[in-house]
Amino acid sequence: MMLKKINSSQFEKLFNKLKKDYNIAAPILHQKGKKELIEYSVIDDFNKIVWDKQPDTSPKNIIFPQNTLLGNDYEENKEYDNDKITIVLGVRSCDLAAIKTFDQVFIEDEMYTDQNYQDRRDNTILVGLSCEQREETSFCDVLGIDAIESDYAPIYLFKDNEIFWIKINDQKYESIFSDLPDGNQQDFEKLLNFRRKNFNQSSFDLDIPVPLPEKEIFKSEIWEEMSEKCLSCGVCTYYCPTCYCFNFFWEGEGEDSTKYKNWDSCMFSSYTVHASGHNPRDSKDKRYRNRIMHKFSYHPLNYEGLGCVGCGRCIDRCPVNLDIREALKLTEQFLDEKGGA
Amino acid sequence: MVKTDMLPQKAEILDITQETTNLNIKTYKVKFKDDDFQKEFNYKPGQFMMVTIYGVGEAPFGFASSPTNKDYFEFSVKEVGSVTKELHNKKIGDTIGIRGPFGNGFPVETTDGKNIIFIGGGIGLAPLRSLINYVLDEKNRDNYKRVQLLNAFRSPEDTLYCNDYDRWESTKNTNVRYTIDEPCEGWSKCVGYPHTLIEDKLEWDLPNTRFFTCGPPIMIKFVTNRLKDLGIKPSEIITTLEMKMSCGVGKCGRCNIGHYYVCKDGPVFTMEQLGEMPDEY
Repeated sequence: MMLKKINSSQFEKLFNKLKKDYNIAAPILHQKGKKELIEYSVIDDFNKIVWDKQPDTSPKNIIFPQNTLLGNDYEENKEYDNDKITIVLGVRSCDLAAIKTFDQVFIEDEMYTDQNYQDRRDNTILVGLSCEQREETSFCDVLGIDAIESDYAPIYLFKDNEIFWIKINDQKYESIFSDLPDGNQQDFEKLLNFRRKNFNQSSFDLDIPVPLPEKEIFKSEIWEEMSEKCLSCGVCTYYCPTCYCFNFFWEGEGEDSTKYKNWDSCMFSSYTVHASGHNPRDSKDKRYRNRIMHKFSYHPLNYEGLGCVGCGRCIDRCPVNLDIREALKLTEQFLDEKGGA
Repeated sequence: MVKTDMLPQKAEILDITQETTNLNIKTYKVKFKDDDFQKEFNYKPGQFMMVTIYGVGEAPFGFASSPTNKDYFEFSVKEVGSVTKELHNKKIGDTIGIRGPFGNGFPVETTDGKNIIFIGGGIGLAPLRSLINYVLDEKNRDNYKRVQLLNAFRSPEDTLYCNDYDRWESTKNTNVRYTIDEPCEGWSKCVGYPHTLIEDKLEWDLPNTRFFTCGPPIMIKFVTNRLKDLGIKPSEIITTLEMKMSCGVGKCGRCNIGHYYVCKDGPVFTMEQLGEMPDEY
C-alpha cells in the first residue's frame, strides 16, 4: 500500500498530465432542461469536478452503457477515445459495491462471462472517494457498506478540504504517483478516525435474514400494499447502480443489421410477456417483489453479498415516493410476526 | 467458464417440414455456415438455442433433433410472435443466426438402465423428440429398457413428426401411442387427454421408470397429478419449461423463477425441484 498527500493544485497538475494518456471521467454538473444533475462525463477541466455531493447517477453507464453496440466496442460513444483507458474519478463506496455485483454476474459467474462487459471493465481504472457526509436517503451502513473506505478500487481518495490523500491499494498503479509527496500514516489514521466518529449513521435500522427466504416471502401480502401506487415507470431501475436487466435490439435489415444490448427494466409490464401472451409477472406486486427479492434473496443466493448498496437513489427519484426502506421494514415485520405465530 | 459476446453464428436452412395440416408448425433443419464450427458443435437433448432473425429479433427454441447426428440440427416453430412469423416466411437456403447450446438438458446419464415413458402434447413434443431420437438411436437403444411414448394432439390435423412414426414404432421394445382430444372420423387410435390414458394404455407400473413430459401447462399439471396419484415419485417426473428469454446465459433477468434462472438452471426440472420453487411461472 502506498499513501500520498497532495493539495488541489498538485492534483490538478497530475490530472492535466494524465488526461493526455487516459480518458478521465468524473462527476460534473449537467444542465438538463430545468434540472441540474451531477453525472459522470469525460472531462478536460479538473475544477469542474463535483466532490461534495453524491452523483445523481452511478458510473454504471461507463462500464455498462445504456445502449451498447455489440461486437464493436465504444464506437457508439464519441465521448470516449477508444484507444485510451478510462479513469473513473470519485467513485463512492456504494457505487464500488455495485460494480462488484456487476463483476460477480458478468465476469466471475461460474458458467458465463460477458465478453463486452469484461472488455470495458479491463479498460477502466476506478478511483474511489471517501464520503464526508451521509445523503438523506442513503442507508449503506445498514447494509454493511463502509462509506469512508473501500478496498474495491485500486486507488482511493480522501478529500479533506483542499488536501487529497491518495491510497494506492494496487501496486500496479504506484508508478503514476511515485513523484508525489508521501502522506504520514498517523495523520491519515487521525483523519479516518475523525471521519468515522463524525459520520452520521442513517436513521433507518433493519433486522432481516439474508438471503430473504423466498418461498416464505412469496406468501407475504405486503407487495400489493407496497406497489399499489407504482407507475411501472422503471425510474428506480435506471438510477439503480446495481440493476442490470437488459434486452437486445437490432438496427438495420438482414445480415448487415447490428445488435445492441440496451438497459431494460423488470418493472415494465411487458418485460416477461411470452409470445403467447402468458405473463408470469403480470401485476405490479409481482414485479415489485421481483425487484426487491432479486437484491435481497436471489443475488445473495446465486453470488455473494447483497444486490442493493443502500445509495438511496431509487428513493430520491421515485415519482410516487415509493421507499425501498419501507418495503424492507414491512418484510422484517412480516417475518417477525410469522416467527412469533 | 464460457465467454460470450452475445452475437449469433450464421446458419443455413437446409430443409423445412410443414408439420401440421393447418401449417402453423414448421420444423427447420439447419447447419452452421462455418463447417468447422458445425463439426465441433455439440449439445444435449433438452438444451435450447437462441435463433436470430437478423434485423428482427431473437427467440429461444429447444433442439428437436438428437445430437447423435453431427451434420445438422433441427428445431420446430409454432407461429405466435414476431420472430416466429418471420421464421415461417424463411425459405430453404436462407440464413439465420444461432447462439447456444444453452441450459442443462435432460439427465441423460442418470437415465441409463431405466424404463422410459414420454408423454408429449402438441409442440411440447419438440424438446422430447431430441431425447426420443437419442434414446431410440441404435447406438444408444441398448442403454435403456422399455420405452413408451404417449403422443397427444388436439386433432388429427395437429399431429407432428409423422415421418418419425414408422421408425419409432419399429424400434425394439418400444411402444408408441397416439391420442387426440375428441373422437374423429377415420381416427382409430386413442382418444382423450393423456392423463386419462396413463393407466389403460401404458405399462406405467414397471419398476425403475422415469417419466418425461412436456406440453401445454395444463396438460403437464394433470399428467403430473395423475402420476403422483399413482405413486410415482416427483423426482422421476421430468419436464422442461419455457420462458421469455433474451440472453440465454442467466444475466438479462427475465426468465427467473425465484432465484432459479430457467435458461441456466433449467429449462429441465424434476417435479420435485418445481415443488420447491416459488409459484412464478
